[in-house]
Amino acid sequence: MATAEMKPIDVPDARYLRSSRFSRIVNVAGIYGIAVLFIIAGAVLQGLGVINNFMTTRNFLNIIDAVALLGIVAAGMAFVTYSGHYADLSVPTTMALTGIVTVELLHYGFVPAVLAGLAVGLLIGAVNAVVVGRFRANPIIWTLAMSYVTMGVIRLVWVNRQIYPDVQTDNLRTIALFDGIFRLRLFNVVSLPVLLMILIMLAGHFLMTRTVYGAQLKLTGSARRTATFSGVNAERVVGIAFLLAAFTAAVGGLIITSLSRVGAWYNGTGYEFRAVTAVVIGGVTLAGGRGTIIGVIGGAFVIGLMNNIMTLIGIGTFSQDMIRGAIFILVVGINAKSLRSLGRDDA
Amino acid sequence: MSEDGPVVALEMKQVGKRFPGTIAVDSVDFEVYAGEVHALVGENGAGKSTLMKMLAGSFNDYTGEILINGEKVDLHTPSMAMKHGVGMIYQELSLADPISIGENIVAGHLPRRGVFVDRAALAAEAKRLMSIVGLDLDPDLPIEEISQHEAQLVEIAKVLGTNPSILVMDEPTSALSRDEVERLFAIIGNLRKRGLAIVYISHHLPEVFRIADRVTVMRDGKKVASRDIASLTREEIVQMMVGRSVKEFYSRAERTIGEVRYRVKDLSRWGFFHHVDLEARVGEILGICGLSGAGRSELARVLVGLDPADEGTMELDGTVLSGSGMAYYLAKGIAYLTEDRKSEGLALRLSMEDNILSSIVPRLRRGLRYDKRLGRTTVRDLVRALSIYPTDPAVTLANLSGGNQQKVLLAKWLAGGPRVLILDEPTRGVDIGAKVIIHEAVEKLAGAGNTVILISSDLPELVGLADRVLIMRQGRFVREMSYEQCTEESLLLAANGEESA
Amino acid sequence: MRRSERDTTSSGRTLAWVERYRIFLLFAVIFVFMSVFAPRFFNVFNLTSILRMVAMNATVAIGFTIVLICAQLDLSIGTVITFAGVVGLSLKEPLGYALSVPIAIAAGAMVGLFNGVLVAKAKISSFIVTLGTLTILQGAIYTITGGNTISLSTPDAFAVSDFLAGPLIPLITPRILLMLGLVAAFELFLRRTRTGRNFYLVGGNRNTAWLAGINTDRYLIAAFVLSGTLAAIGGVFFAMESSAATLRMGDQSLMYVISATIIGGTAMTGGKGGVFRSFVAVLALEMLYTGVILFGLGNEVKIFIAGLILAAVVLYEAYAYYRHQREIGKRPELIRELAAGTTRAHAAVDAASDGAGGKA
Repeated sequence: MATAEMKPIDVPDARYLRSSRFSRIVNVAGIYGIAVLFIIAGAVLQGLGVINNFMTTRNFLNIIDAVALLGIVAAGMAFVTYSGHYADLSVPTTMALTGIVTVELLHYGFVPAVLAGLAVGLLIGAVNAVVVGRFRANPIIWTLAMSYVTMGVIRLVWVNRQIYPDVQTDNLRTIALFDGIFRLRLFNVVSLPVLLMILIMLAGHFLMTRTVYGAQLKLTGSARRTATFSGVNAERVVGIAFLLAAFTAAVGGLIITSLSRVGAWYNGTGYEFRAVTAVVIGGVTLAGGRGTIIGVIGGAFVIGLMNNIMTLIGIGTFSQDMIRGAIFILVVGINAKSLRSLGRDDA
Repeated sequence: MSEDGPVVALEMKQVGKRFPGTIAVDSVDFEVYAGEVHALVGENGAGKSTLMKMLAGSFNDYTGEILINGEKVDLHTPSMAMKHGVGMIYQELSLADPISIGENIVAGHLPRRGVFVDRAALAAEAKRLMSIVGLDLDPDLPIEEISQHEAQLVEIAKVLGTNPSILVMDEPTSALSRDEVERLFAIIGNLRKRGLAIVYISHHLPEVFRIADRVTVMRDGKKVASRDIASLTREEIVQMMVGRSVKEFYSRAERTIGEVRYRVKDLSRWGFFHHVDLEARVGEILGICGLSGAGRSELARVLVGLDPADEGTMELDGTVLSGSGMAYYLAKGIAYLTEDRKSEGLALRLSMEDNILSSIVPRLRRGLRYDKRLGRTTVRDLVRALSIYPTDPAVTLANLSGGNQQKVLLAKWLAGGPRVLILDEPTRGVDIGAKVIIHEAVEKLAGAGNTVILISSDLPELVGLADRVLIMRQGRFVREMSYEQCTEESLLLAANGEESA
Repeated sequence: MRRSERDTTSSGRTLAWVERYRIFLLFAVIFVFMSVFAPRFFNVFNLTSILRMVAMNATVAIGFTIVLICAQLDLSIGTVITFAGVVGLSLKEPLGYALSVPIAIAAGAMVGLFNGVLVAKAKISSFIVTLGTLTILQGAIYTITGGNTISLSTPDAFAVSDFLAGPLIPLITPRILLMLGLVAAFELFLRRTRTGRNFYLVGGNRNTAWLAGINTDRYLIAAFVLSGTLAAIGGVFFAMESSAATLRMGDQSLMYVISATIIGGTAMTGGKGGVFRSFVAVLALEMLYTGVILFGLGNEVKIFIAGLILAAVVLYEAYAYYRHQREIGKRPELIRELAAGTTRAHAAVDAASDGAGGKA
């Protein structure tokens, strides 16, 4: 590459040289800026009478609830992308299996069932951690295979059955608790998923930017061999990223199962793509080592607002897919182009 | 050369090339005659490789004019350059690993019969070209199954296959053994006789004096001069490269050498090196000399815990090192500067600060928190001590010159205050200014009572710095020399296994 | 990168041979096992039905293999199958197959062109691009169909369907013939023509290809166009044979085709593999699935086994690479010493002859 031959001229253009905190703040501010633009657009559309009921508390609560689930799943996925391993495509089946196992075991009580569900989710993460972290299998293909194995297990054990909490247990309190995962509201406003999302976001942000693990993950994601040659246990660092993705997927699985009040193989379908979208729109680059969790949550918000406005306008779910896909490619393309024009070497 | 003076095969007039934020080549005039070997020398970042990539058609936006055999040509793509008879042997091999030798050699212009590739012709052509460079391999083998030096020769065969009239070689000997270098020089001599214009880029001045007819020196993207090699001395060339007169290069500082710090007994990693003993002392610079492939880097990797040993013990200050993994060794103060700066040493996408601190991440801890600010003074001091430019710690590393990147790599390991620092080719491909600074820092480290193990193929470096040199050959230590015994010649002979018993 | 010395021992050569031809061995093992043990496996009817089942996926696998040889990924193939089926059948009534089928195939090519241009020219990761087109196409499919299966029940549609499904000679129906023809043509193209070989070069090392004067962008785009086109061909002919296009007809194919291609030995890192190998792998997988069903096991077992097989192959390849990395740089003469058990004696001789030995 040409870089070896480059010699900085006397007054280096700061734009080319700095990879500062400033640009990170601009990136994060950017995605929330877009979110604000969407809100303004929604307000304007409502003012023009194109849509109704956008600027209502009810609607915003809906948006935030929808965002929470995606935000939680995306936060964990972001660690995988940040580690330079693209995505964990076993997320949907992890969600489904966690939900099914939890509901199946509800008759042992709420807490044991939830713990067992999370444990099963983490088990999938652990397998990914070993295979991708240690043996360096291609993450996309491996996690895809993993999702099929998991789906196979679900179909083998439960066939096409849907599992209802009230069938699994007579204990009304347990059922109420399980239903409450999605529906419980603090002060009648903040729902449990939203609370969890904020918690996971803060913890994730702290982990990524303010801990030794985060620093090692950044190094590993940017240059894995260099990390190994700096005394970083890259196998473990990458493995933990997959465990985190599995954990948030499991939490997401609990929420989505509570929402639908049924454990079924199709719970979580499409969440791998949605989460990747949020992660990438939120500024975590596929090349690894770049982006923030707060940005990712911002990405989830933009998606949530976009969906909401499109629904209110009356655009069908399926046309929404098309718009989402196009915006996804567009955002990544613009992002890659701007990084390149700034002399950064990744896409 | 003919009686009526040399024939100009290549003329570059006022050529220039800019990169974002830099001017790599600035209005250079460059002339090469048919039938000569023309050396192109200069420090890293002087613009040699950029100038030659321009010739090879790597850029579509250079300025100035290029004339080949007196005719103005546009060299905007590699295929245009190839059509005009420019052949380039790249420093970083341009071979495709999963593809067969034969298809690599004739890449892009496979012989055809009808619509199909003529496989017999392909194999014959590959064999013919390989025989020129003295290789006898199955053309169907993929590149990933042959060794590094075989691949280097395949690369040369490949370029010869394009029948170039102008041949550019960028550090062609870096991966070759001595015999192979001799053979290469014989090939170059032949090509010269056939009237090819050959441009030879090298950092290795003795080679330049052996093979070149004329030399062009570049500095900071500009040409300093083109001269007959016979009219110059080594010192004069270095002076032109650096832009100032170079005084005594190595002035051996007196160091007091103390107790044994790092003792290795009967260390083996099966298949890589067997039964190695070494003792490195406090305040000592211990050199390890050997040809590439002698097992030096493999030994180093075991010495710092990157690979497990199959047999043997390692002791630091009399205590056996019982842990495993590099982090354990690092915590004990044993560090390793890799020979592969780009893929093992640095994270080019991260900032200089992140890179320098990357070896001491676990130490920058305040309670649960990782706090980069704890390393701020370390970074500032190291940047100053090693004169790293630019000085802004937030600069992205990819934007630094090779020499400065290498200084950052050294700074990364100095940051932890190592007690035993193993350096693997610490100045390979680095300009002279950076080299001097790195050498000073290494001597200072040893002078402060630390131990340095210096693995190097740069013989003057070993002769100048090391207190003792161990010679490694085929996975074993075969000799030891004190610095009084060391000369470039004696080291080279020993490494090649040609010294008298 | 430093490369390893060649393993020239006979066991090493045998292993390399098994590794190289593993897909054909696997095929043979499955075929023999099922023929012997699975009830009603080895008969013309069943074998024809297997070939009919693979006709679509084998066609799609051709394009996917080319993309993978170029070291890229095309996740959109599943939706392109469905999209082409839906377009081809929904335009049949107004236009007739003579027009609607070319339109459907052209639509697939356009999707490929879109993918290819974004990957090659805009330099966006193919994972992102094809994930995006997958989402877009899903929306498009539902928008066109309104969420309903398109099925044709006119006599001429049935006639076409009967023609495509009817054997010309035992085992071979027109659709199977088409598939075999495409596999043969592309195998020959990739193996024996200069353009075909250039795909390998582009995937093996894009820089090498560029330096050799190959327009690498054009090859990347071509790979995606071929992938889109072949996925569309697979989809539309399948839909014509069943006179129906369901909204999920291509859903299983992505996993199926990825598995087969990788099991067939096309490397995820590019520059290796081939169309015929992918075809044999598709066939082997389908025989396995059919066998599973014939043994009376359900669809769920089939999914489970599919996942396990892919997982096993990915794991094996990752492990082989991991082991290979550990072997790189070993010195053959030291290995020979080890084998002979003479390391120490040798060392002593060495030390004696060199005088100073290795002692510090």
